[in-house]
Amino acid sequence: MKAKRWIVRVLLGAIVPVAILVVWHVASVGSVVVPSIGAVLEVLAHPLRDPPALDSTSLASGALISVLRVVCGFGLAAVTAIPIGLLVGRSRGAMDMLSPTMAAAMVISPIAWIPVAIIAFGLSSPATALYGDEHWRFGLLDQLRFAIVAVIWLGAFFPIALNAAGGAKRVREAHIEAARVLGATRRQVLAKVILPSAAPSIVTGLRVGGGIAWRVIIAAEIFPGTRGGLGYMIATAHEQASYEYAFASIIVIGAIGLVLDGMLRLAEHRVGRWQPKER
Amino acid sequence: MTGEHEAIRFENASKCFVTPARPEVWALRGFNLSCLARQLTCVVGPSGCGKTTLLRLAAGLDFPTSGRVLMRGRPVDGPPDGVGLVSQEGTLLPWRRALANVTLGLEIRGMGRAERRAAARAVLQRVHLGRDVERSYPHELSGGMRQRLALARALCPNPRILLMDEPFASVDEPTRHHLQGDLLGVWAADGQTILFVTHSIEEAVYLADRVVVMTFGRTVAEIPVSLPRPRDRLSQEFIDLLLVVRRALTEHVDEKGGDV
Repeated sequence: MKAKRWIVRVLLGAIVPVAILVVWHVASVGSVVVPSIGAVLEVLAHPLRDPPALDSTSLASGALISVLRVVCGFGLAAVTAIPIGLLVGRSRGAMDMLSPTMAAAMVISPIAWIPVAIIAFGLSSPATALYGDEHWRFGLLDQLRFAIVAVIWLGAFFPIALNAAGGAKRVREAHIEAARVLGATRRQVLAKVILPSAAPSIVTGLRVGGGIAWRVIIAAEIFPGTRGGLGYMIATAHEQASYEYAFASIIVIGAIGLVLDGMLRLAEHRVGRWQPKER
Repeated sequence: MTGEHEAIRFENASKCFVTPARPEVWALRGFNLSCLARQLTCVVGPSGCGKTTLLRLAAGLDFPTSGRVLMRGRPVDGPPDGVGLVSQEGTLLPWRRALANVTLGLEIRGMGRAERRAAARAVLQRVHLGRDVERSYPHELSGGMRQRLALARALCPNPRILLMDEPFASVDEPTRHHLQGDLLGVWAADGQTILFVTHSIEEAVYLADRVVVMTFGRTVAEIPVSLPRPRDRLSQEFIDLLLVVRRALTEHVDEKGGDV
């Protein structure tokens, strides 16, 4: 019975991708703009090969650069947003001070910050900071442009902080008092009551922030002045009419996004498994 | 003066709350109470008479507006050592499994994992919870089991004083009688000082060495209960005592009006 349900689910989930493939195939016949499915599969089958007619690195290294940028920006956002969110959720003063700014910043698209970040950070990266003019020798470090990382940080920060604040605010006072009567210090109350109680909200914020970070990176890499990454590959493939690389990049973006979301969904399930299921 | 064998003492304690609806609400007004060590005192009174407030003051979760509260001779300025609190419902941590809830107090004190798990298992056994519940989350247990678990959590760090805020109010009558029996068993063996708050006169007379009747933030009567244990709820002496407590309560409530 379970196996049957699983097969039905897989079949239902496959309907839309198969329809897209059919439409794609029909559109690609005789077209110079839409690449054939075979041409795109050829690119995907050789991810380490440098594109012959394209001023870009290979698909695999482009994906690696994009993932590294997201990991840095998203990691920085998690490390800064969770404590600030918890503070806002537990302190009336911090809430009064920060929540209007956070609510306003939340509705600004992170992409709008790209020009501001480029003005603020220019083309600087950890490599330029550490090695000055020799920065170009340190490829991966040079790709971690501060401007891009800052934009990802901004995109992921607010959903994570707001969810952490909501989770911390909903911690039941009775639970805190139960720990206090058992002798818990303020630090123990934070570690044993506030954090675990707010954990499901925090992970939901991480999932939303992770999704935004992954979407923002592609937009940020399309902006002028960037080199490397999947967004950059899409932009150059478009400029040089190598559309099979643009299509292959889009598929890789989707696949990585799916894996990222799956990991965070798993974490969400694990930290929230104590919650009674709604019927 | 506080005697050596005095475990809990309220000295002219008053507590005033300011609410949006009313500028001043006096939950306690010059409240005096002294509980001797190893004594089981039940405070009985109508809803809103200040019973929960008096336990919160004793637990160090709140402070009197005037007067003072002493636990084992020391003024309360925060949750005191050696005190356990059991509330009506909902203070078990829902993300912790049953065993982890019981070990919380020992974990806070820094006891090693194996040691605290062994201690928790022993306490669970005392409140008649088997090993099969250890891995359950609180919401997977019945109301009675949750209250046993809450009692086990309070007992695990071996407190000398137990504060109990209507702990059995939300369970059905047969379960309540079982829980009362379990509590008396633990108390007979360990001899904690218990301050037990309830709105049930029957529960107070069944459990207590002394019933304190409280209305409108004040003590209005103290009635010693010298019936031998286990007490027979259907005996004439028991029923007579119920009537004495009820009369003391209704006299004072009727004077000012209010729910019993």
